[in-house]
Amino acid sequence: MIHGKLRLALLSLLVGVEEAEFTWLRAKTGSTDGNLGAQLLKLEEAGYVTVEKKFVNKKPQTTYRITEAGRQSLAEYVRAIKQLLGSAMDA
Amino acid sequence: MTEPLNSQELQDRFSLIENMIAEGRRTTESWGWTFVFWGVAYLVAIAWSSWGPKAFLAWPVTMIAATLLMCARIAAQRRRKPEKQPDTTLGRAIFSVWVTTGMAMFLLLIFLSMSGRFDWHVFIAVVCALLGLANAASSLILKWNTQFGCAVFWWGAMAAACFGSDRIAIAALLVTIFVCQIVFGVYCMVLEAREREATHA
Repeated sequence: MIHGKLRLALLSLLVGVEEAEFTWLRAKTGSTDGNLGAQLLKLEEAGYVTVEKKFVNKKPQTTYRITEAGRQSLAEYVRAIKQLLGSAMDA
Repeated sequence: MTEPLNSQELQDRFSLIENMIAEGRRTTESWGWTFVFWGVAYLVAIAWSSWGPKAFLAWPVTMIAATLLMCARIAAQRRRKPEKQPDTTLGRAIFSVWVTTGMAMFLLLIFLSMSGRFDWHVFIAVVCALLGLANAASSLILKWNTQFGCAVFWWGAMAAACFGSDRIAIAALLVTIFVCQIVFGVYCMVLEAREREATHA
């Protein structure tokens, strides 16, 4: 699920902050609205992020927050990469 | 993992994770100016309370005006940014240290002024102790030795206020404000400018 580069980037961004707005994630990843929305939806469906939609000063605001499952998945992915990198160096 | 990756691709993934985590934690807001700003505010309040009219108003009026000006500056700074920088646990920890210190100092000043139990030595000692505490807590959170040096400086001024004469207490306060607010603030601003340049490069 998080192997895709954009989804991996999104989870890595979200793991360092309490919550982030859609516009901030878009600026940091340089992604288009459509692609970003689609990848965030996949992460949400997998239970890796939660979404909150609200109005601030009459403007819609969508914020995302990483879940515990998302944190664990990212940690496992990092562990797996480290292991693979270790075996690649050994070979 | 759905497909086998070679060593370079694995390294790229790892770098992507590291860069994005660092990006999330990087703050784009500048705080160095607040040290300089408050240093100037303290000096204005000291000058007013020493030589100006209605000296009892010097600290409350200067501190309230400085707080309002700082809030307006921060609000303007945030309005200029197209996207809101997200909060981090680290940022909130630092923010809470400084806000609670500011509130404690403000209440202390008001109550000491109202009660008529204002004593320069006690006042300087308490203010220096609080600012030393805030700098020390902030430096321990950020693992920043330079700021811990400021905390030691403030506590040195606290000791001078407790044991020294009137002249020594005031001199210690003025020197500490200059070093720990003005000089340290300018140093922070230089570091922030360098970081901004490195980010844009």
